[in-house]
Amino acid sequence: MPLALRELQAAFAVHVVGGERADLAGAVMGDSMSADARLRIYRHHVAYSLGSALAATFGTVHVLVGEAFLRRLVQSFIGQGLPVQPVLTEYGADFPAFVAGYEPAASLPYLADIARLDWALNVAFHSPAGRRLAAADLAAIAPERLPSLSLAVPEGATLIGSRYPLDRIWNASQPGAPADTVDLGQGRADLLVLRRSGDAAFIVLAVGEAAFVAALIDGKSLEGAAEQASHADPSFDLSTAFARLLSLEAFAALQQGAEGEG
Amino acid sequence: MTTTRIAIASALAAALLAPMAAQAQGSMEKCYGVVKAGKNDCQTATSSCAGTSKKDAQADAWISVPKGACEKIVGGKLTAS
Repeated sequence: MPLALRELQAAFAVHVVGGERADLAGAVMGDSMSADARLRIYRHHVAYSLGSALAATFGTVHVLVGEAFLRRLVQSFIGQGLPVQPVLTEYGADFPAFVAGYEPAASLPYLADIARLDWALNVAFHSPAGRRLAAADLAAIAPERLPSLSLAVPEGATLIGSRYPLDRIWNASQPGAPADTVDLGQGRADLLVLRRSGDAAFIVLAVGEAAFVAALIDGKSLEGAAEQASHADPSFDLSTAFARLLSLEAFAALQQGAEGEG
Repeated sequence: MTTTRIAIASALAAALLAPMAAQAQGSMEKCYGVVKAGKNDCQTATSSCAGTSKKDAQADAWISVPKGACEKIVGGKLTAS
């Protein structure tokens, strides 16, 4: 009994993510291969392609858990939902949250945060290379107007805070990294992930710097951000931190008219 | 302007004059570079073909133990906060 097109498509969608639809095989003609075997090719194709895309996007997670565990992990994730757009590098935004709730990975409490870092690097890498703010751009502004200025991080940049030393874990996961262990007791990490020319990168921020950047992302002025940073870390040195962030091109260039108020 | 505001303005202005070389040292991790760029097309015809030859993922043995670089990350269960 042939299925209506809409039902056939719905049954096929269930099948490719691993569900069982007994009525589907009856609606597909076999030839040199049985309908079952032919349908499985599509299932494998979807699982393998999406799994490989996720493995590439979440490269650090991949290295940390190993091939076999990753395949199982991504398979469980794919079973929850197929991509909703055609670009595979945009698939996996929900993966970090999925990892956080993935029972077999519960012994690796930092894994979800590493997935967030991998995703942020992926987003940064595929972001447009907008112009960055340089010290010279601000030199033209009267110093007394600087505190009221608002600055934005570059498009595609993400600030990630974790209670785990993500930068050290990331470093230990790189090819050729020394066999030294990383102690999770080394504490929190705050990273600003952003695009660099032809690359993605992260900056390790001190507590005060992280509060400063977070406040600017929230739309606070430099003055408001400086106060928030001093609150987070009483030894925060505004001048040093601002110089460092400028030299690392951590801010987007000013929009026209952004320096207008004061 | 308040005293605080003047101090903030001075600190920000001073940052614009700081020597560049001293600031940037060792402060950024390069993450992908050429390697990632070369992977941009990894989901094309090659893996499509490879997919047809893989055994059914559903039939894989249940894998509950991560076996990778996570062996180098220690102390996880001790950090409660």
